Amino acid sequence: MVRRLFLAIAAILATAPAAAEPQVDPLKSPVWSDLAKKVFGEAPYVFDDAVKVSVPHVVENQAQAPIIADARGLADVKRLIVFSDLNPIQLAIALEPQAAAPFVGMRLKVEQSTPIRAAALTADGTWHVGGVYLEAAGGGCTSPAAARSVANWWDTLGEAQGRVWPAADGYSRVRFRIRHPMDTGLAKDNTPAYFIESIDLKSESGSVLATLKTFEPVGEDPTITLLVKLPPNETAISIDGRDNNGQIYRANIPTPRTDATSRQPS
Amino acid sequence: MTANKWLVTAGALALSVGLAQPTFADVSIDSIVKDAETADDVVSYGLGPQGQRYSALDKITKDNVDQLVPAWALSLGGEKMRGQQAQPLVKDGVIYFTGSYSRVWAVDAKTGHELWQYDARLPEGILPCCDVINRGAALIGDKVIFGTLDAKLVALDQKTGKVVWTKTIDDFKGGYSYTAAPLIVPSSAHGPLIVTGVSGGEFGIVGRVEARKADNGDLVWTRPTIEGHVGTLNGKDSTMTGTKNETWKGDLWKTGGGATWLGGTYDPDTKLIFIGTGNPGPWNSHMRPGDNKWSCSRIAIDPETGDIKWGFQTTPHDGWDFDGVNEVISFDLDGTKAAATADRNGFFYVLNRENGKFIRGFPFVEKITWATGLDENGRPLYVADNRPGDPKDSKDGKKGASVFAVPSFLGGKNQQQMAYNPGTKLFYVPANEWGMDIHNEPVTYKKGAAYLGAGFTIKPIFDDHIGALKAVDPASGKIVWTVKNRAPLWGGVLTTPGLVFYGTPEGDLKAVDATDGKELWHFNTGSGIVAPPITWEQDGEQFVSVLSGWGGAVPLWGGEVAKTVANLNQGGMLWTFKLPKRVAAN
Repeated sequence: MVRRLFLAIAAILATAPAAAEPQVDPLKSPVWSDLAKKVFGEAPYVFDDAVKVSVPHVVENQAQAPIIADARGLADVKRLIVFSDLNPIQLAIALEPQAAAPFVGMRLKVEQSTPIRAAALTADGTWHVGGVYLEAAGGGCTSPAAARSVANWWDTLGEAQGRVWPAADGYSRVRFRIRHPMDTGLAKDNTPAYFIESIDLKSESGSVLATLKTFEPVGEDPTITLLVKLPPNETAISIDGRDNNGQIYRANIPTPRTDATSRQPS
Repeated sequence: MTANKWLVTAGALALSVGLAQPTFADVSIDSIVKDAETADDVVSYGLGPQGQRYSALDKITKDNVDQLVPAWALSLGGEKMRGQQAQPLVKDGVIYFTGSYSRVWAVDAKTGHELWQYDARLPEGILPCCDVINRGAALIGDKVIFGTLDAKLVALDQKTGKVVWTKTIDDFKGGYSYTAAPLIVPSSAHGPLIVTGVSGGEFGIVGRVEARKADNGDLVWTRPTIEGHVGTLNGKDSTMTGTKNETWKGDLWKTGGGATWLGGTYDPDTKLIFIGTGNPGPWNSHMRPGDNKWSCSRIAIDPETGDIKWGFQTTPHDGWDFDGVNEVISFDLDGTKAAATADRNGFFYVLNRENGKFIRGFPFVEKITWATGLDENGRPLYVADNRPGDPKDSKDGKKGASVFAVPSFLGGKNQQQMAYNPGTKLFYVPANEWGMDIHNEPVTYKKGAAYLGAGFTIKPIFDDHIGALKAVDPASGKIVWTVKNRAPLWGGVLTTPGLVFYGTPEGDLKAVDATDGKELWHFNTGSGIVAPPITWEQDGEQFVSVLSGWGGAVPLWGGEVAKTVANLNQGGMLWTFKLPKRVAAN
């Protein structure tokens, strides 16, 4: 997945403007200059308040810190990624919003207090970076998954639930959860890395709404919120996920009526 | 280990400018079929689909083998040790191998540096009978294919180790697991096929052989091993195995065992798959009168249809857990298309591989108590008193009369692979001399529970050794030479012109003279060897590789044998040896 990310960046490089001057990190992260190279390569980036990251004032559970990344202030976002400077595995999620807003809500494992960043790639090949500093107690990435203490976690693996709410601005809010231990491979119990690595959201008619790449830092039982543009009269969104062991997860989330005249209440 | 993935990727890109990196070329079905003829790769289990474990490489000789030194060693790490039983594969400078706990590695064959690693995430409830081992992967096309302890077949991308597809072989909660190396065979109707069996013969499963398309893992045919069960071809019922109730009375055939847990070999000459079948279930033979076909057998399967072309049952109506899974090796017997197999039951069988007809059979171990010999068709001449007694004949019906039987249920030979050398015309058999006290008990089938109906303990029969590497002449039935080993042998054999390589549980990889068994070289790998060595050539040098890591069935089931293995520690290391340049040049 990381390889693919690099390739994508390389492809963009060909048409992108020359690399920008090094930027001063508003969060003063000790790793920023190295991390920026890893994430963006030679592609230009700017710190941009249009990309907003929301985190709670107090993290109650460092294995499930709620994060919202919102780049709706930018036009024509091709990709939105969330990463954290001081986590042992930095990249958490990458969204390609084919028919969705550049917006993602998720829960993140946090190993220590760290800048949480969101970066939006716009059509001109520039990354727009926003971020906040998250205060948190440590250990979210190296503690065994809660599933580890449940002998039959396998039986509920991949169970999904979700709901769709219609919104006034033409986007529907969809939230879903897939049961999965999302093992980081870093826990002392020697459990290998085991995580959902891709989730595609499609409309009932088969058009792609959004594609997600997910990585080890996404919290156990991934709970994700997106804003999608549903074609009219659709009754369900399909979720198509796959983990790094090749296990496939499929689910359908029924959608509420979007047009009162099109269908009778059931 | 995944913490710095970005850094690793970036680093690899930078390095590739200055260093020669291994290439990743596709593995064709043709190269697998002809694997025995090519010295620069090992792309099949058995160094050729016939499984002879013979390499014609002769740079390492009787005269210079004592100079062999380690080229490198690689730790399997992760605190996950236990038995390492896999045979490595080599293609274009990359070694692919599997380890305990369903792990796979790709390693630069020249340096021993890891290229990628895949760790399957296993559920808590897996039920492997005999340690968390794996016997190896298969290469085909751009994929590395292996099976997991939770009975899945996984195809990895050869270049990255990422999962391409996963197929569930069966439900691990029902006792199924998968530990063999998948077999790749050609077929004209379906293209290259991945042929797999199942493990779980101690849990009342029904053994079967399955063939899947090599590119996408789609099931092509299935062949149950137990009579009365019906196979499938292209998604439809095909033919029944045997005739229902012919050699199984009642309905115990429904949970009849016959697990195909050791995998098979393929003979490009007769275009047949040879695969062995395990013990019938339960162990208590009084509950299942009849020959119980095709348990404890070798069967020949047509890859086009999955139909059984012939079967040969080594232990009809087994009462001693004499699984018939041991490998069938094709060889030329003075112009006859023959195949040989050394059974758990202590007899060595030479068969006509075209039709399964018995040519000859003879003991390859010192002592056999349960049969006095074989009749003209190869059927054992049973010693009635050496079958564990029927529990129904005991006073309370709970425990039948105990007998001391030789060999033990772990067999005159178990999963450790023998080798055939066409130069010496001898088979080199890693054998064990041991017996067991065994009695029968009543038992009923319960999903996921051991289905034995027997109690047992293994005992050595000699003071000084259990293991015995034997040179067996298939033409005369004579044991030409024997090398004794204190602990039971559990690792396979490799033979080259003039030499035989094998490992011991004590940890030594040894080279002996193929003509007389004289030891010429040994090296202590630091943990017990229970895996077969391989050899290949790269850049003009001959290499020998073997996995070291003590484990497998012996420490779990060994009974009184335990004292011979008491001071052996677990490990996990891939060792590679070569000659120093100055010696190789002479």
